[in-house]
Amino acid sequence: MTGYDTAGRIQNTYVSARREFGANPNFWIRYFTPSPAADLFHEAAVAESRGAWDSGGPYVGCISAPRQSRLSGSAAEGHADAQAFAAALLTAYHAVRPLVLPANGQLYCWLDQEYSTSLSISYWSAWASYIADYNFAGLGTYPLYPCLYCAPQSPYPNCSTIAKSRGVNKPVAIWSSTPEPCGSLTRPPRWNAAHCAVIPTKLWQFGEQGVCNLTANVDLDVGAPGFAMATHCFRLKYRP
Amino acid sequence: MRSRKRGNSVWPRGPAGGGSALSRREVLAGGIGGGALLAFPDLSSGARTGISGHGAARYAFIYGTPDPGEVPSGSLAAAMYPPPRTAATRPVPVATKLAGAPVSSPDQAVTALATVDMVHGGAKITLTLLDATGATVAKQGSVTVTGVPGDAHVLVTPVFAPGSAIVSLVLAITVPVSKHLVRKGHPHTGHPVPRVATTWRTHHALAYFNQRSGAMSGPFHLSDEPSLALSTAAANSSDLLLWTTREPQPDDPAAIRAQASLSRLSVFPLGSGKARLSTSAPAPWPGGEPVVTLPTGDIARLVRGRHVQVCSARTGEVTELEIPALRPGRAKPSAVTMQARPDGTVFMTKPGSGVAVLADAGDSFRTKTHIQFPVPASPLGAPWSKAVLSPAGETMYVLGPAATGGLCAYHVGSGKLAASYSEGRQYHGLYQLPSGALLAVRPENPRLAFFSADLSPLGTADTNLHVSAIY
Repeated sequence: MTGYDTAGRIQNTYVSARREFGANPNFWIRYFTPSPAADLFHEAAVAESRGAWDSGGPYVGCISAPRQSRLSGSAAEGHADAQAFAAALLTAYHAVRPLVLPANGQLYCWLDQEYSTSLSISYWSAWASYIADYNFAGLGTYPLYPCLYCAPQSPYPNCSTIAKSRGVNKPVAIWSSTPEPCGSLTRPPRWNAAHCAVIPTKLWQFGEQGVCNLTANVDLDVGAPGFAMATHCFRLKYRP
Repeated sequence: MRSRKRGNSVWPRGPAGGGSALSRREVLAGGIGGGALLAFPDLSSGARTGISGHGAARYAFIYGTPDPGEVPSGSLAAAMYPPPRTAATRPVPVATKLAGAPVSSPDQAVTALATVDMVHGGAKITLTLLDATGATVAKQGSVTVTGVPGDAHVLVTPVFAPGSAIVSLVLAITVPVSKHLVRKGHPHTGHPVPRVATTWRTHHALAYFNQRSGAMSGPFHLSDEPSLALSTAAANSSDLLLWTTREPQPDDPAAIRAQASLSRLSVFPLGSGKARLSTSAPAPWPGGEPVVTLPTGDIARLVRGRHVQVCSARTGEVTELEIPALRPGRAKPSAVTMQARPDGTVFMTKPGSGVAVLADAGDSFRTKTHIQFPVPASPLGAPWSKAVLSPAGETMYVLGPAATGGLCAYHVGSGKLAASYSEGRQYHGLYQLPSGALLAVRPENPRLAFFSADLSPLGTADTNLHVSAIY
């Protein structure tokens, strides 16, 4: 199952992406507060959702990319960033009436750790714990699951940090940004995502726009064999 | 606060001893925070001999995460200016377990560190001001927030006020309000698994430290619960401006849809816990965006990676301007930075789009210069400083293209490439020290590489920190 992540507007992007790849994505992954480009969905959630619907990929995944030096920091910083992330997800959920939680009750919430960023165990544990414990919309189902986007082969602490995490603080999944062999939406490379020792990689960003010289304003992602990323995204029941 | 403590979580001094003014006994260690700091002396431009300990004009500080297994989160250290390449010198530890990233004063003369210790009856917050000329503790003050339980989170943000001796501390105090047994689906099987979940509530408080008298006042608790802990703050010579956001409540979707009411801007006279002005703030929510104090006393924050919101400190009125050169976006989001300069201009960078802008803050942020450059590797990753402007403003230095690495220099007047250097290494952060020397950060030791203003290599230094920022 393939899809896109982008810091561009979905409604301004999907036509050129369809032209370039000749197919519809299964999902879109969007940036949420605190993060660069979080304003796109936060301030225009309905327009973005219409774009996702019109693209043929009515599933919206969630990532947050806080100021990266904070990821080296304290539990208070991790807790604060997770609190804002969860609040932004709740805001989007209420802003778009047909936006619903995954049927399996597991919304994957990705923390963006870039290649040159170090992750401290204090930050990660507080971030993950808050996400896992968040009583989303008062539903009592606790549907948020902490996950980590990273480059497992980076020399900066990432896998070694999450290896120390325990219980619900363990990330449910890794989204690997390496390697980048490129490919297309309809012809992704054979599964070869980098991985950490203890947590499975379930999503692979196999083609970044800049590295792969893509015309459309998207990065390309593919799920691990047997894993359907769309089932861990917000779903649009109908066009808002 | 266990300041000046002999800690186990510090590193041995480098082989050359560093020649630093700090001794191991002077390492600061907080209680519940992360973070560590290293210091290294910069040299005046006339003393760039590369000999450690000679002619040190000021120290710079390294903030980052120690190699795994040393301390749980970020640290701060001081490092020697690079000695000859054959005798690398390690930076010297300054502080560990910081409550948050350090903050430098506008003139970079002092660097503020905050530590939090849970003590009987509350949380003790200590502000330490490090003097950059000696890497020594210049001033220190503490305040205790009573009634805070031991498992609370206290986020501390020091805010310098240009033209004032007052350093404000914005405290986000998050406490557990309930713990209950819940059932959460197992991530692999989906079967409900019982666990104890915690519900949290946050409010903010203010404290003020007077650099002259050494007196700390506060805490002044704000009645903004429930609030998000993330906030944005800046100060001028008379006021502290604070952006906060009300935490959306799950049972109040109507209020959530009316997002305009969630964020507020409050203006506090320095030293006061009572706002003289409080008003709805325009989107986006505060937290992490670059913010600077302009010579007029107004505050500018760079939002959405392309808009500057100029806030009148007098009235709270916000004027939003778009910086056209920052408009183009790519699939990958980018770090953005903004720096106010003494001549009234503002330097903004968006490395993920390969663009830097010098704008005239006194003329509606009119773009004076717009420089385009190839996107460097890891444009979003730490450290966020990928491009710097020389003190005179005539040269911009930037990390080299992702394909080649190294460093590049651009002539600001023409926007043209003036010089480049690459030995094939990728650097991930770039700073200019007050001496004029450039400091580039790379993943493996020696992690610190120093260059002259003409991009000639000056030397390197090892550090056990994975570098997140330089101060």
